[in-house]
Amino acid sequence: MTSDPGPAPRGAVDPDDAEVGRRFAAGDEQALALAYERWAGQLHGMAVRAFGPGPDAEDVTQQTFIAAWTGRARFRPDQGPLPAWLTGVCRHKIADTWARRDRQRREAEAAVSQAQAAPAGGTTPAVDTAVADRMLVLEELDRLGQPQRGIIELAFFADLTHAQIAERTGIPLGTVKSHIRRTLERLRNRLEVDGAALPA
Amino acid sequence: MPHCQPEQLALAALHETLPADDAAHLASCAQCRSEVAALQRAVDAVAIPELAAPATAVPPPPAVWAAIAAATGVTAAPRSEDSATSVAAAPTPAPVADAASTDGRVLPFRSRRPRLLLVAAAVAAGAAVGAGAVAALNGGDDPELVAAVGLDPLGEESASGRAEVVVREDGSRALQVDLDAPALTDEYYEIWLIEPDVVEMVPLGVLRPGTQTFELPTGIDLEAYPIVDVSVEPLDGDPTHSGVSVARGVLDS
Repeated sequence: MTSDPGPAPRGAVDPDDAEVGRRFAAGDEQALALAYERWAGQLHGMAVRAFGPGPDAEDVTQQTFIAAWTGRARFRPDQGPLPAWLTGVCRHKIADTWARRDRQRREAEAAVSQAQAAPAGGTTPAVDTAVADRMLVLEELDRLGQPQRGIIELAFFADLTHAQIAERTGIPLGTVKSHIRRTLERLRNRLEVDGAALPA
Repeated sequence: MPHCQPEQLALAALHETLPADDAAHLASCAQCRSEVAALQRAVDAVAIPELAAPATAVPPPPAVWAAIAAATGVTAAPRSEDSATSVAAAPTPAPVADAASTDGRVLPFRSRRPRLLLVAAAVAAGAAVGAGAVAALNGGDDPELVAAVGLDPLGEESASGRAEVVVREDGSRALQVDLDAPALTDEYYEIWLIEPDVVEMVPLGVLRPGTQTFELPTGIDLEAYPIVDVSVEPLDGDPTHSGVSVARGVLDS
């Protein structure tokens, strides 16, 4: 379109999502702009859902794209579509923000209790176990291969039953079930090894 | 009964409903319950609405892209930000989520967190087919057509059709449905009226390919239940929506 006043030639046909993903992985700057064009609204919608409109949500969206771009070597186009990967990065940024808030809360509480002549034994303000667990689980999800990761993400984040996952993915029901079991066991082990001990 | 299979315990940790004998065993077995609880810790940590698949898109303010460009040194710009000073900037293409969230086929009505995800589905359905609804008035003694809507296939389904709301001479209303869909074995089609946020729904009956008429409950407010939904139901004796919708339309009243 010769009438397009855009600063960069874009070609007659926009690349499809898979092509954007491949170019993103290859470091094509135009692909970052295209990814933002196509998916920033969805990702910002997630951030706004978690934090409401405002600086925290904007920071999450911004950090998501920056981290995705600088960490693009970790994006594998053959392992899933770019928007799904960006969504995973966004989950990390949301969890990071919760963790930062939790840390700030604990530091504030610690400062208050010190100012009030801390009781003997100096109790440590409780770490929010859920906040810490969340980061560990998201990190472990990043280490999963396919189809395990896709399967557990449909269960966790799309709220599908194992039967619906089998139908959606075309993977046999028994295979879906055993992947779910093995993945949950792996996540449990990770939490038991690296997570905070749960209150008895 | 022996202990539950590990696969069943994992499904229980995901809050899925277990077969009756597994559920009964679980209720009476502390060992199995403790296993479920251990597996559930990861589920509870991340299977929360805030981390669910993207639902509603919200355009970020221009400062967000500006910060990204500054941090990455990228000079290309999204079209939506090309002319940040112009209100009439080129519209951002509709965001496309990953396949998991755009495929409208599976709607987890029986799930533990239905509202969040189903709202997105309802919005999508409304956007896609709301414009297809028409209202028309006929004179004469025939049933009066008051609304009609095309039933559009969801996802890659091949089911489609049309639904018409008619008022008969005695004032009663009916939904006439014309369904074009493959015949099913061991499953059946059911037709529903559903409210916009897809929580409340009214089943109208069992549907088969072809033309059929369903009585509308007296007094039902079609503005409150505008979504005409065709589901595929397994023969499992469960009267609730299976969550598998194959065609939909939204009555525009």
